[in-house]
Amino acid sequence: MELLLMALTTGIMVGGIYALVALGWVLIYKCSGVLNLAMGELTLIGAYVSLSFYSMGIPFLLSLLFSLIIGLVLGILTERIFLDRLIGEPVLTVIMVTVGLSFFFKGTVEFIWGVDTRTFDPPVFSMEPMRIGPLIIGKVYLWSFLAALILLVAFVSFFKYTRWGLAMQATADDEMAALSLGVSARFVYAAAWAIAFMAAGVGGTLLGNINGLNISVGYLGLLVLPAVVLGGLNSVPGAIVGGVIIGVLENLSGAYLDKYFPGGIKEIAPFVFMTVFLLFKPYGLWGWERIERV
Amino acid sequence: MSTTWLPCGDYHQSYREDHAWFQTRFIKGKMILLGLVLFIFIPLMGETYSLSVCNQIGYTVLGALGVQLLIGFCGQVTLGHAAFIAVGAYTSTLLILEFPWPQFILDIGLAYPISIFIAAVTAGLWSVLFGLPSARVKGFYLILTTMAAQFITVEFIITQYVSQIGGRGQAFSLPPGTIKIGPWVIDSDLKVYYMMIVLTSLCIIGLANLLRSRAGRAWVAIRDNDISAEVMGINVIKYKLLAFFVAGFIGGVAGAFWISNLAAISPEHFQWFWSLWLVGVILIGGVGSIHGAVFGSIFMVVVMELLQLAVIPLADEYPKLLMDFLFVKEAAFGLAICVFMIFEPYGLAYRWWQVKNYFNLWPFSYR
Repeated sequence: MELLLMALTTGIMVGGIYALVALGWVLIYKCSGVLNLAMGELTLIGAYVSLSFYSMGIPFLLSLLFSLIIGLVLGILTERIFLDRLIGEPVLTVIMVTVGLSFFFKGTVEFIWGVDTRTFDPPVFSMEPMRIGPLIIGKVYLWSFLAALILLVAFVSFFKYTRWGLAMQATADDEMAALSLGVSARFVYAAAWAIAFMAAGVGGTLLGNINGLNISVGYLGLLVLPAVVLGGLNSVPGAIVGGVIIGVLENLSGAYLDKYFPGGIKEIAPFVFMTVFLLFKPYGLWGWERIERV
Repeated sequence: MSTTWLPCGDYHQSYREDHAWFQTRFIKGKMILLGLVLFIFIPLMGETYSLSVCNQIGYTVLGALGVQLLIGFCGQVTLGHAAFIAVGAYTSTLLILEFPWPQFILDIGLAYPISIFIAAVTAGLWSVLFGLPSARVKGFYLILTTMAAQFITVEFIITQYVSQIGGRGQAFSLPPGTIKIGPWVIDSDLKVYYMMIVLTSLCIIGLANLLRSRAGRAWVAIRDNDISAEVMGINVIKYKLLAFFVAGFIGGVAGAFWISNLAAISPEHFQWFWSLWLVGVILIGGVGSIHGAVFGSIFMVVVMELLQLAVIPLADEYPKLLMDFLFVKEAAFGLAICVFMIFEPYGLAYRWWQVKNYFNLWPFSYR
């Protein structure tokens, strides 16, 4: 019972971070229709940038802010240099450009920062676990979850209440109508990429705080794909729910299935689940069903 | 793009001519010349280094052919092809190492050829297993399931379980002399080259023949529009699975061939990177043509070798560049894909076609 509760709470908390990254993914897809396979590398970049600032002695929150700013600039640059030219190209082309970008980013990150595991030193969150009733939770998880929650609320209210957010929603809904109402679609695309970069950066920083930072954090960033498939590709609430479900699923399978399949079942379980899920519900929980005609 | 341009006023007069392998004498001569170069000239002239580059190219071609069939001819985007290559490589290795071969088979050197065939069939069936979702999903969702195939096969099953067989730890190494075809022990680059060129030619000819059969036309129909294909009476699922089988089969051949060139087989050789690399190869070479896969392989392997050569003189000043060359290579590959997709979306095969056309009509073009 305790194992179940532990796995559930840890899962939900890690899932909060996945939800944050998945939100960035869904945003890009909704606004510009780009299926982004470079999300893992975006988390890596953000995480390494904030780590570098942090190890220079800059306070954590400030270095996170700096990484947000750099993420913003990089996001706009990426969109302008690579993806702006690809609007209206076939899906495979766009996907492969994001794959190319992911290699480019990954190679660059590995070249600059190396492949050894780095940690935030001194630790940002104290190692002392917290006790809530029978539960023992690492402070890192708790704080990460809280941070993810705050940012999720911030992002969602940005979309609901600000002018730019509304413009982005409008473009996602109907690009032609939005254009005719004076919304600049190019601005929206750039903004989507910038926000995705920032969300992924925060997610990566939090993930790096949990287990130290190396290339495999990029793999964790790849877990957004099962998350968004679960929620439906173009649904913001779906992304959040999907992220949490994937986090829980990962930890549950780590807790219960590891006995039967020793080794990496924890990393594989989301993908197995996704494959099976796709067979039954290809459009996810809240995604739009596409009707195809000849 | 595969149509041959005949000289003005020259028409086919029978279906036989229309379907002929070599449509004109010139093409026949050209192909014979190519065969001579590949089978006699390169092995005679090549040194160890250039032969090993050729072997890499051959391996990439074999891997990319399957991806080309799935993406270019059947429209089923796959990002997990390295998994099937890995299945081929591991099946063949395990058969050689663990299977109790009768002595006479070992004596006449049939163990490795038989293991190649079994490995290819196993990889094909494994590929069909992960092609099953294509019955339900397509496009981006299919990409995700093939990605899952990669992670499940290589990162989980092979790393955690298959590698444990025989208690050798993470890597299998084949003792010298076990890779033997007939009387020849495959131990030098030259012998690997001959094996590579035979296997590659067989696979290319086989695939090209399949593509001009009913199956090939069905694949192209599915690629162009799967709903209309179904309306026309093509059993879409059957042909999709057949495509997965053939692609996996060729991938298995590639894997089983490559173990002859590897000192030790470990899961690191079949990472997700390699799957994406193969897709990049066909995108750069040109989607939807067999020579696209070949051009892409030659281009990528040669460019990466040149990049390495270019980095060596810089190494004195920036030793990090050479030490971390793998990462430079990764970044360069990523950038190459982006640049090709943006500026040359039809790939090298399209340029080749343009050049050929230009000379077909030279010096008096119709325009």
